[in-house]
Amino acid sequence: MKVDTSKPLEYATQENNNRIFGFWVFLGAEIVLFATLFTVFFVLVNRFAGGPSGSELFEIGPVLIETFLLLTSSFTIGLAVHAMRHQYKRAMLVFFGLTLLMGLGFLGIEIAEFVTYVHEGATLQTSAFLSSLFVLLGTHGAHVTFGLLWGAAIMIQLMRRGINPATANKSFIFSLYWHFLDVVWIFIFSFVYLKGLM
Amino acid sequence: MLKQLFPVRHVIGYIASLVLSAAALAVIYGDFSPAANIAILVVTALIQASLQLFLFMHIGESADTKKELYINIAYALFVGLVTIFGTLFIFVWGWYK
Repeated sequence: MKVDTSKPLEYATQENNNRIFGFWVFLGAEIVLFATLFTVFFVLVNRFAGGPSGSELFEIGPVLIETFLLLTSSFTIGLAVHAMRHQYKRAMLVFFGLTLLMGLGFLGIEIAEFVTYVHEGATLQTSAFLSSLFVLLGTHGAHVTFGLLWGAAIMIQLMRRGINPATANKSFIFSLYWHFLDVVWIFIFSFVYLKGLM
Repeated sequence: MLKQLFPVRHVIGYIASLVLSAAALAVIYGDFSPAANIAILVVTALIQASLQLFLFMHIGESADTKKELYINIAYALFVGLVTIFGTLFIFVWGWYK
């Protein structure tokens, strides 16, 4: 395979370029997926069916911690890619590991939030508002969960094989995925939680 | 070494996104009209999303597929926005009345 040394490793071969482009196409489809879930939520946001409303249910504390964790993890995966381009394998692995740990923390808080909601009588079946809320948050949370497994697999490959065109490409694509999840969370934070508490 | 591990652009982008998240809290703790609140949320969220897209995701970086990539993301955003606002138009804002 032809390796172009003038470019960063993750772009060094034609196949790598195609993979990155293909992943952007996938992210385009993900934008539309989340747009439909937001649509359903916005339409059903006032259908409480006797169940709790957003302002009764939401607490800002845990949501702020979730936001802080995800924003910081998006920053550290950016730093990991930056370290990768300087061939700092150790620093890259540290930033990568921190990213996954913060993702795990985010997921833990989100699950604890879900448990709290259910204990307060707010389940998937309670009202149209809660169904759409749980599906939107759950789809995002499922993406984070998948990202943790995927990221851990890439970290193992990095430890075993080091930074080469293949692992650099996978790490870069993972960073795109993780940043995208952060973008989705920004919209959940703003238009689900903050708007609900307004 | 420290400067190479923590590039200034990324650090500024990170601090900016924290500040913007904090600024969005004005809709709860501030005393603005509902319309102003929505405007605050839209502006802070869009700036943050752009920060991620351009600064962290390096969307403008790959020279040979740059144009196709922008078109793909712009089209996805178009379809997403039409889905959201088209639906709100009919089901929530009562356009059919």
